[in-house]
Amino acid sequence: MNRYFFYNFILVSFINLMLYVPHILIQLRYSGAVSSMLVGIVIGSILVYMYSSALARYPEKGLPEILKLHCPKWLVSISMVFFAAMWWFATTIVVVAGAILINRFFNPDANVTLLLAMLVLACGYAATRSTLSVMFIVEIGLIVNAPIIMFVMFKAVRSPQLNWDAIRVVANYVTKMPTLTSVAAATFIFTGYINLSIFNRLFPPNFRFKFRWIYPLFGIMILFITFFVPIGFHGTEGVNQYIYIWSLTADSMLMQYGFIERILFLFLIVYLNLTLVYTMSGWHQAMELIKSCFRNSKPEIDSPKTLISNYVIVGIFASLTILYHMLTNEKINMYITSFWLVFRMFIEILTVIWVFVLSRRRSTAA
Amino acid sequence: MRLTNRILLAIIVLGMLSSCGFKDIDKRFFVVALGLDMSDNEKKPYRITLQLAVPSPKIEPGASKTQIETIESESISEGVRMLKAYVDKELDFGHCKVFIIGEKLARKDYRDLLQWMMRRRDIQSVADIAIGKPDAESLLKVRPVSERYPGNTLFLSFGADGTESSYTYVESLSDFSRRATEEGLDPLMPVIVKDNKQSFIMNRTALLNKKKVKLVLSPPESQLYNQLAMDFTKSSMHGMFEGINLVVALTEIHSKYHIGKQNGEETITMDIKMKVVFEEAPKGLYERDWASIERQLNKIYAKSCVALLRKIQKAGVDPVGFGLRYRATHPGSGAWKQWESIYPTVKFVVRANIKIEGTGLIK
Repeated sequence: MNRYFFYNFILVSFINLMLYVPHILIQLRYSGAVSSMLVGIVIGSILVYMYSSALARYPEKGLPEILKLHCPKWLVSISMVFFAAMWWFATTIVVVAGAILINRFFNPDANVTLLLAMLVLACGYAATRSTLSVMFIVEIGLIVNAPIIMFVMFKAVRSPQLNWDAIRVVANYVTKMPTLTSVAAATFIFTGYINLSIFNRLFPPNFRFKFRWIYPLFGIMILFITFFVPIGFHGTEGVNQYIYIWSLTADSMLMQYGFIERILFLFLIVYLNLTLVYTMSGWHQAMELIKSCFRNSKPEIDSPKTLISNYVIVGIFASLTILYHMLTNEKINMYITSFWLVFRMFIEILTVIWVFVLSRRRSTAA
Repeated sequence: MRLTNRILLAIIVLGMLSSCGFKDIDKRFFVVALGLDMSDNEKKPYRITLQLAVPSPKIEPGASKTQIETIESESISEGVRMLKAYVDKELDFGHCKVFIIGEKLARKDYRDLLQWMMRRRDIQSVADIAIGKPDAESLLKVRPVSERYPGNTLFLSFGADGTESSYTYVESLSDFSRRATEEGLDPLMPVIVKDNKQSFIMNRTALLNKKKVKLVLSPPESQLYNQLAMDFTKSSMHGMFEGINLVVALTEIHSKYHIGKQNGEETITMDIKMKVVFEEAPKGLYERDWASIERQLNKIYAKSCVALLRKIQKAGVDPVGFGLRYRATHPGSGAWKQWESIYPTVKFVVRANIKIEGTGLIK
């Protein structure tokens, strides 16, 4: 069962590329990104430990049920709707970026809104399934795609084009003070633990989290690759001129004897798969959070029947996503994302502390 | 009821698909090489040449067919758009692997061109880039006799698939773009010359600053540069021993450098280790003391390296990346300014360490 936690963790840490995390960090590379990454690693690891040890005391319960045990109902409902909005927003950014990416690199003649509508349709349908099915889809999605991502990253790190001097130049700026935006961007790599808010329902009563040391290590690896590899490929100055920095980095590599010579296409396909999986998982969680506010709601992890409310809630998410895309453009999207990342960090810290304190109080009371 | 719903959904999704702008492969013209020149026309300064692949069922040497389209235009992208009106199929840059910049343009200003290439999504960053002499157009018009696929000759000359010449420096678009912006690392690219017959010669390397060509290295210098900066084996070096010419082939080479103060002067110390085998040498060399030959070779090699590095330094460019190394080893934002004042007067010390592995098959 520990693998369910791990899947959520790696899914979110891989998807950071779609959320402009490398872009934000690279923009601030001379003004505190490196030290922020170190701070982010510490904060992220502490949050992973705190949240998982807090949730370990509530097997088979998601975040809404835990809060309902201790807090007044109105407070729980308000925070659930709020959290749902946060989750919805993360996935919206990712799926909109995915649609734009398809348009830019695969088919510039296609209509972005139409592409988005099709992505949203697929994700929306998948998100209405039961929690257990969603977890299975995440599992399959990662087993298929993660090795390819690891391959591309490994190839990038081993590439002779990677200029270690450029990496060293930027790493030397570690003495600059961390900034809020870049700390927020760095902690996003570790934020997979928050998905347990719903997926904790899947864990049986005698469940224990194991191998928790692997999460900080994995996070550090992904974070450093995310940040330093593009700098090594495009130089300390050139790296800042690209919008789709990782797509360009993948395009700079050549797979001479692969079936597809340009790694770019392999990379894009894999990332679009991950986008779909992430969006599905995010919408499913947001949907469950909203459903928990209903009076006669009963958490079910594998219900044979799909409720009408599932379709309605996800339908609203989907149409809001398309609306969001119509109201924004690439630049505004990027701007809002950096704000959202900061906001998200504070909300998550608050949530983790809240749940952690509740779990300790219960144990001392009992 | 549910079945009808499903069929309806499928129809809707299929209906959406039809709007994708997909064109069949036989309705496309694949651009295999693009050349850019300066024209004499002041109003339309760019002269764009596209080499288009003409698909042919025959795959045999000399069977490659290409179509050349040329246009003069005010800007590069407008020119390419305009060229669409000259041909009957959709232009596709997805297979464009070689970009050639005319010498005149490279000597004036390459920045607009680079920006255009990086901005276009369908131009691959792994494509090769080179300078064409006398101009790109005449190079693209060359029809090599041995060419099997359109545009293949140029492409094979660059990659490691076909010939691997120690005289050819291979530059990819992404590396060029990095070097064009990086502080302390300057661009360089091979120069392709058209010879009188139907073939190309690529044995020179042009060194550029952030705007234009500053220096063109001669063929021996280009080879030496590849050895120094790229650790390129499969190459040779020339030496003298007691007045007799020696030629050795490199089997292994490793070079590293560090920058620091020596005797109060900023010095770049380069250590080059290599293992060599004789290719041309007088008979009886096997019996001689190899250590003294090694010493002699070291001296000659170090001397020619210093001469090359000095020449590059005098041109005011830094393709090896000494400046970047200085920035990496000297933290702080002032390092680059410091380096700019140091580099013109920096001293070079090259310490070669050649090991003779053998004399070939004869003594």
